[in-house]
Amino acid sequence: MSEFNDPFPNYEVLAQHDEAHGKIARKKLWKVFWLLLIITLVEVMVGIMAPQWGLSHLFLKFFFIGFTIVKAFYIVYTFMHLGEEERWTKWIIIAPFTGFILYLIFMMTIGEGNYAKTRRIDNPINTENVQSAPEHK
Amino acid sequence: MSGAASVDVKQAGWDGAKSPLRASHGKLFMWFFLISDALTFSGFLSAYGFFRHRYAGEWPIPSTVFHHFPFLEGHHLPLLYVGLMTFILIMSSVTMVLAVEAGHRKNKRQVLVWMFATIIGGLMFVGSQAWEWSNFIKGSDQGAILYQNQMYLYKINHETHKPELNVLIYKGQEVSAAKTAIVKRDGQEFHGANLQHNEYGHTGFADFFFFITGFHGFHVFSGVCINITIFIMVLNGVMEKRGHYEMVEKVGLYWHFVDLVWVFVFTFFYLL
Repeated sequence: MSEFNDPFPNYEVLAQHDEAHGKIARKKLWKVFWLLLIITLVEVMVGIMAPQWGLSHLFLKFFFIGFTIVKAFYIVYTFMHLGEEERWTKWIIIAPFTGFILYLIFMMTIGEGNYAKTRRIDNPINTENVQSAPEHK
Repeated sequence: MSGAASVDVKQAGWDGAKSPLRASHGKLFMWFFLISDALTFSGFLSAYGFFRHRYAGEWPIPSTVFHHFPFLEGHHLPLLYVGLMTFILIMSSVTMVLAVEAGHRKNKRQVLVWMFATIIGGLMFVGSQAWEWSNFIKGSDQGAILYQNQMYLYKINHETHKPELNVLIYKGQEVSAAKTAIVKRDGQEFHGANLQHNEYGHTGFADFFFFITGFHGFHVFSGVCINITIFIMVLNGVMEKRGHYEMVEKVGLYWHFVDLVWVFVFTFFYLL
């Protein structure tokens, strides 16, 4: 009996299972593998054909990044077994990361990105403004 | 455990009586390490995205840079080799997760077989990346012209994928005929890419490529080393003595993370 009165003292053996359960688990893993492979093949095909099909860059961005996030979800959820963890484990791992990344993307695009586009003098777009601006004494 | 005891546990709540996450220290801290590592890579890739938009005019198109395939020299085959690399890494991720699954059944022989396959896949990936790097460093046949420390590129015909040797491009703009003559007379030929110059376009592309794929490649390399260590430990029966194969699961987490990062690198470097 552990001193913590814990019903599951050996977390390491919690995930162990028998042959019958293993068969189901393996089937699920191979399914995810085929899904990832098909998504990658579609991505490569679209990447090669994009100039000929005349797809816009904005569409490609959403298409590729969307599929990338789908792939990332399946890798984390199934291959890394995050789906089998406790609810709070999932939150502790996903929430802080997502928060930081959303903040980073926000600052990159709205904050610094806008600044670089409209204000920075080394941007070719803004060279006209620089020439017409009064010189500092 | 009797029913009465579990009622006690529930009432006890957070006095150190009940584990809220029901996971071992080792696994949780591997996750926390991976989150911090993921933030590092996110920073790199965001910086890449920022530069890519900032210098959109002179940023190289990946399909004009990476179009080689082993034993098929001279053909224009964009994305195929890196697609193969992605396949190798996803495949090794599957063999890793199968090793973890075999560990859950305490099947030592299968753990060894799948881990061996994973190590082979990892080595193949590192080798492919070395080949990709050497192609990028070596550069194309025509190269570009370095004149007064500025890079003048040959215009690439998008139908034939061949360079037009009489048209030069500087910072995304076509150069006038008079300037072209001067640059061709006084400039020197430059092939490939390094941290100062890049024959395909903006130097930032080469810098980010070497830095991010190098950092990822180092992760793969260290993952292979850790995999070999765990492989030897399993071989010596260390996990059998412990009664569980959680070390395989932990190194598996790291390996899947490496695969996860490559999925993003593949998208941002090669597809977009």
